[in-house]
Amino acid sequence: MTEYFAGIDIGSTMTKAVILDDGIIAFVIGPTGPEQRRLANKVMEDVLNQIALPFQSITYIVSTGYGRINVPFADKQVTEITCHAKGIGSLFPEAKTIIDIGGQDSKAISIDANGRPTDFIMNDRCAAGSGRFIEVIADTLGVRLEEVGDISLQSKNPAKISNVCTIWAQQEVAARLAEGVPIADLLAGIHHSLADRISRMVNRLRVEEEVILTGGGGKNKGLVRALSEQLGHEILVPDKPLITGALGAALLGKEIAEKAKKNNVPLETKERLLEEIEIL
Amino acid sequence: MAEEQKAKEHKKRRTATHAAASIGPMVKEAIGGTVRARAEGTHKIAYTFIVCQHDEILRALDVVPVWTENYAGICGAKRDAERFLQRAESLGFSRSLCTYALCGLGFDQWREELGEMPPDAPWGGQARPDFMISSGQILCDPRSKWYQAAQQFMPDVPIYNIDLPYPLYDPKRDHREVWGYYHKYIVEQLRGLVAFIEEQTGKKMDYDRLKELVALSDKTWNLIHETYELRRAVPCPMGTGDAMNTMVPMVFMMATQEAYDFYAGLKKELEEKIANKEGVVKDEKYRLLWGGGLPSWFALTDFNYFNSKGAVFPAETTYRMVQPLYEMDIPETDDPIEHLAWKWLGYWTFWYDKARKRPGSHPDVEWLIDYIENYKIDGVVMHEAFSCRSWHVGLIWQLHQLAKIYRPIPVLVLGEDGKKKEDRRELPSLVLESDIIDITSYSEVDTRNKIDAFIETLEAVEKSKIK
Repeated sequence: MTEYFAGIDIGSTMTKAVILDDGIIAFVIGPTGPEQRRLANKVMEDVLNQIALPFQSITYIVSTGYGRINVPFADKQVTEITCHAKGIGSLFPEAKTIIDIGGQDSKAISIDANGRPTDFIMNDRCAAGSGRFIEVIADTLGVRLEEVGDISLQSKNPAKISNVCTIWAQQEVAARLAEGVPIADLLAGIHHSLADRISRMVNRLRVEEEVILTGGGGKNKGLVRALSEQLGHEILVPDKPLITGALGAALLGKEIAEKAKKNNVPLETKERLLEEIEIL
Repeated sequence: MAEEQKAKEHKKRRTATHAAASIGPMVKEAIGGTVRARAEGTHKIAYTFIVCQHDEILRALDVVPVWTENYAGICGAKRDAERFLQRAESLGFSRSLCTYALCGLGFDQWREELGEMPPDAPWGGQARPDFMISSGQILCDPRSKWYQAAQQFMPDVPIYNIDLPYPLYDPKRDHREVWGYYHKYIVEQLRGLVAFIEEQTGKKMDYDRLKELVALSDKTWNLIHETYELRRAVPCPMGTGDAMNTMVPMVFMMATQEAYDFYAGLKKELEEKIANKEGVVKDEKYRLLWGGGLPSWFALTDFNYFNSKGAVFPAETTYRMVQPLYEMDIPETDDPIEHLAWKWLGYWTFWYDKARKRPGSHPDVEWLIDYIENYKIDGVVMHEAFSCRSWHVGLIWQLHQLAKIYRPIPVLVLGEDGKKKEDRRELPSLVLESDIIDITSYSEVDTRNKIDAFIETLEAVEKSKIK
């Protein structure tokens, strides 16, 4: 009988869920709202509906991310550090360094050949090291977030953005825009500024190739290039960079279930019951 | 009423030892004692700083020290520093200055303006000084400027500044070539301090008494070292959370019989715990080193959080301000002032010889390595407190040097030929970020998320170890 495993990653900005058997068979990505318990139920319901799978058929569920404690049906909670390491390790067996740029924070993780974290560093204090920085600037420039990367790659003369604080950088960008600096140059400058800040954090670790960029930042080609230049390493990006944490969570669940089976011990799981959803 | 409310809001930290639990009342009494001394006019009162090698001189001349950093720390620990920080900010001081100094300046200005203690001042408040002894040691510039700034509110209170340098580390030179010059300079500084206090108090130094107090301090130093070394035991009987309390007699009460008696009691308590195999945590999984940085005084419960994950801190570099005198290579002398100066130099150069033997090392890194080896450490935790430059600049550099020159964990890695081979890797490390007393810099959720991730990392490293 096929066994299914679920990983659910409630990040500060986006919530992701993955179902896998031997590989990923379904995933969903949606915005994180204030009512995380309800959101967890909704996301789980959505991902199960995709493949018409009853909730009871999920063998093990691991939750991760900032909202991991708000997943009432999760059998285990694991931090995003371990889950990203596991997820990326499964996609890139040669990976040694992971950079995760999320909505409100960024982190760097060193991993071993087994996809286990061996060291990490986190920035959870400052929007200037996270996707939020780009969001604020894109909003100021009236550019859609999805277009930011491509537009910045058109720049031949990136603007020098001195301020590293998000709010001050926003003011600086507005002032430079008024001076007539092209949007592409401003975005390229912003990517350099962000890459500079992130690379300083990442360099606290021993950065070794392969270097993988995951999280929402992985979808921004301009940022990937700027970061690669700053770090002096080629940077690889998974096809679906937003779901690597949820994937890792599901893989960890699978590992736990297999270990229990091997050792012939019962698997401790929560009741497979989704709470009633009133909103969303 | 307000005091009761605050007490309810901030629960007391759970300690592992009776000794640590006894510190709070002891400090409260000490602070209350300074306020009483002010009211009664029995003793001269001096604002001053810890670790300035002058405790014996103050005690011998019956000066009551008000440790201004300590009072700021108390305000922080009681989560009641914000109003003093805000007041200092409103006076034009930047929030990015040392928050101990800011808190003290805010408090002093308020007390001087009111002519009495600010309302609900923690533990009765900080007594007005008769004089202030500032210090230019350990690169802490606020220590030189803090009291000068305080003179804006207390222009009648004189300052004496002592300068206590030590030779910088040079891997190619033996510090003994130059420490005679440093010694002469420090002796002059301390003799100047004696003359200043004699003038302020109208008392003459009794050098026989000073000698006795120096001998008592020396005895206490060695006792502290021996007591803290007991924490090598597995399971560890006392962690850094407690040590952040038991440091009080070490840094605020040296040259007193009470300090000696306290450590004698702590030693006995730890010996009993070791005999009973009683550890800080029930099932000790990870032994961590607090590798540097002052703690967030308002968040000492984070140590309990580490404990709840099976992690314990048997050692710390912060506030372990002693090295055994019998291991220091310092000249003998009958002059207590000269001895104090040698003790200062011996302490700060203690790891120099060891560092020279390991290419790329540094005394601070050797200190870490010594603890890692002797206390069976699995990981290093540091705290970057944003407002304390002197203590915190260089912490990350220390971690980098440590990782470069010292890799104690045996692991299997894939070689270029695709075959697994044995290698060694560095200890995992965690850098916490916040401040000493500015609670607005702290996020409990983020801090504990980092601690969770660090524990998972230790677990992963443990799995990959060759045993």
